[in-house]
Amino acid sequence: MASSKLRNASAEPEAECALDMSPMIDMVFLLLIFFIVNATAIIVQTDPNVRPPIAANSKRQEDGSGRIVVNIRPDGTFTAEDFNTVLPGEDEIYDMVKTMKDRHQSLGVVSKLHLRGDKESVFRYCRTAIRGAARAGVDQVVFGVFVREP
Amino acid sequence: MARHRKYEAAEESNPALDISSLIDVCFLLLIYFIVTSTITPRESDLGMALPAANPSTGQPEIEPMFIRIEANGAIYTGSGASQQAMDSDTSVRELPLLRGQLDMYASAARAANSKPLVQIYADGEASQQRVIDVLNALAGVNINSVTFTDLVN
Repeated sequence: MASSKLRNASAEPEAECALDMSPMIDMVFLLLIFFIVNATAIIVQTDPNVRPPIAANSKRQEDGSGRIVVNIRPDGTFTAEDFNTVLPGEDEIYDMVKTMKDRHQSLGVVSKLHLRGDKESVFRYCRTAIRGAARAGVDQVVFGVFVREP
Repeated sequence: MARHRKYEAAEESNPALDISSLIDVCFLLLIYFIVTSTITPRESDLGMALPAANPSTGQPEIEPMFIRIEANGAIYTGSGASQQAMDSDTSVRELPLLRGQLDMYASAARAANSKPLVQIYADGEASQQRVIDVLNALAGVNINSVTFTDLVN
């Protein structure tokens, strides 16, 4: 008699064995919310070959509209925002800036040169890019920098 | 016959999907991506306006401040007899001497109700970081009208 009761008691939990999914779902949503909150919108595409200089008084990037990106690599190579298009010199920078400026103008957006110069590059390359942009009529210049050493 | 019916009923009453291996794989992937991911630092802006953005009709009311950046990173203010050597240590990002001068100049310009203007001559071989150090000092005292006097070579 006693042995059949024991058998029944031990058999019941096995019959209702179930995995409670709610804590896992809680955790998955918590992680999802964490990553969504932490995510930042990309304002401009960045050339990984360029390590921008440090400037503690710089401001957070807020508006991505109207930016015409010119990357300057340590060896002085100029690239456009997609960082695959190499701009050999000032004339090509002028052409690119002019095209982009006309496009921005048709959309009613003010253009600005977003200059991402590598911290090891020399200033004459930067000057070439500023001059090319100034010839194309873009006189607002924004230097891409880091607030602190990454 | 009866035994066969009983067997079928038992099989149908317990339909279950074992998802524990799926959860294992999901967590393994999550841990892998968390461990291998690198946090890309966020870039920020250091803005300035070239003179063409702020055209002036007449002479500026206040003499523009002249800053010279040498190829070795040494910084000077003024020109001729009034030239003064500022910070020269290129490993230091803060420029306390230049910052002090700029503070005085900006205060004087604002007291005279005019906009502080800065002219920069940077040697072509000066590093980008050194020029940014100077622009950073300018941003620290809210000066954003800058002229590069050497846009020639």
